[in-house]
Amino acid sequence: MRRVLFALAGVAIFVALWEGYKVVGNPDGTVLFGVRVLPRADDLSMPHLWTVLQRLGRPELTGGRPVWIVVLQACAFTLGITAVGFLAGTVFGLLLAVLMQQFRIVERGLLPYVILSQTVPLVALAPLIAGWSGGLSFGPYPWADWMTVSVIAAYLAFFPVAVGMLRGLQSPAASGVELMRSFAAGWWRTLVKLRLPSALPYLFPALRLAGAAAVVGAVVGEISTGTRGGIGRLIIEYSREATSDPAKVYTAMLGAALLGLIVAAAVSLLELPLMRHRRRVEVVTL
Amino acid sequence: MSAVVVDTVTKVFNQGRPDEVVALADVGLTVADGEFVSLIGPSGCGKSTLLRLIADLIAPTAGSVTVAQKTAGEARKQQAYGIAFQQAGLFEWRTVLRNVELPLELRGMSRARRRSRAEEMLELVGLAEFAGHYPAQLSGGMQQRVAIARALAVQPPLLLMDEPFGALDEMTRERLQSELLAICAKTGTSTVFVTHSISEAVFLSNRVVVMSARPGRITEAVTVDLPVRDDSVRQSERYFACVTAVRRALRGGNVSTPRTEEGVEV
Repeated sequence: MRRVLFALAGVAIFVALWEGYKVVGNPDGTVLFGVRVLPRADDLSMPHLWTVLQRLGRPELTGGRPVWIVVLQACAFTLGITAVGFLAGTVFGLLLAVLMQQFRIVERGLLPYVILSQTVPLVALAPLIAGWSGGLSFGPYPWADWMTVSVIAAYLAFFPVAVGMLRGLQSPAASGVELMRSFAAGWWRTLVKLRLPSALPYLFPALRLAGAAAVVGAVVGEISTGTRGGIGRLIIEYSREATSDPAKVYTAMLGAALLGLIVAAAVSLLELPLMRHRRRVEVVTL
Repeated sequence: MSAVVVDTVTKVFNQGRPDEVVALADVGLTVADGEFVSLIGPSGCGKSTLLRLIADLIAPTAGSVTVAQKTAGEARKQQAYGIAFQQAGLFEWRTVLRNVELPLELRGMSRARRRSRAEEMLELVGLAEFAGHYPAQLSGGMQQRVAIARALAVQPPLLLMDEPFGALDEMTRERLQSELLAICAKTGTSTVFVTHSISEAVFLSNRVVVMSARPGRITEAVTVDLPVRDDSVRQSERYFACVTAVRRALRGGNVSTPRTEEGVEV
């Protein structure tokens, strides 16, 4: 209940800031020494929020479907791509983390490249992946455009998982590891009984980051590969109409924000049952 | 029959490197079946190292360790000993009962059997009613009792303890000492117990093994023959005499101890 109230308060503060700035801000923006330090506050750059909401209800083009349906459909399309990329990236990140934990040499050899991988500009990567994978096929299913986008989402998502999970797998104290050894537990059982449970508090924040990264990867990937049907494409299409219909592009951005929320909610749903015993508890003294 | 035989063991850490440390040099130790032996000495004397060698958590550089007529490695793989550290090291995501079940689980014991065994062990350490609690809900002393129950769960012939009461307050410590003695008497377990505390070593042990540092070696073994082990014995002449003997040994046998110190509180 409290959390719902806090969330609503957050929305209210955002609305107040946005509309407040529109009231006090200079319509042409504030320019200091030739540099624009505050954005334009006119209706073209910052449409009223209710205009954006109204725009959701009106048809996309004259006589077409209402914008909200188009945005939701695009969201669903991109959500599928994001989910595939998020899952693939998470699995890959987990495997990397386990490998790096088990073999010091892998950690030392690989970790710098894992970090380096995130500095490669995504926009440069998209055509490369599309080019390399063009001839691939899974049995009767040829490589599709959306798969390229998923790979890009996975490419962004694996990083926080790999780094966070590595920290988590390394978190058990030496005494815990020695204890498992004294129980004659090998590598696998130490992993399952000790390292994985210890890593959970590190895994979930990493999954949140990975979820957000997967959404960004999917949206940017759609744009740079020119994949049709998703929210990324919609943002590009609508932004072309920004001068005549400024509220439209914000509806697509709302859709992208919704995607992020859905992914974050999915992670929380997974976290609740697994972490329910980690809450702060009262100490019994005897 | 001896529970533990340590035969001229040497342990060198970081051998061949500039930070080489000789932790133990030519150490020999035999623990008889059912015997309670304490290892005592200044920090860095290698008493924890010796315990870890017996537990096969580290390997000796030279010499051999035999536990229950097997090599230390085989003994570990057969869970022939239970171990407890200064930090209880309970798994916070498991209930108390499931923590005690852990070694049994790793042995492949059936769910019903390990449950009843773990309940029995919690009964032994007086925590039966806390089976469903999580470790974070228990005080330090209770956590340490759970750790002891866990160490005893496989009913090992040997119990290894590395300053298990070191982090506890004096009152809890003395109560747990008495409890530990009762448990050892009941189960017939041999025990190797590492401690900093002279009084603790004397109260618990049949034999107190005194070690010195750089390089770690055994300098003396003081046999403690107390008639009974209850709280009254902590005030007895015999007890103080043993405490003095251990203290003297710790200071290096030939340094004479002032007369007045005998019988002084430890």
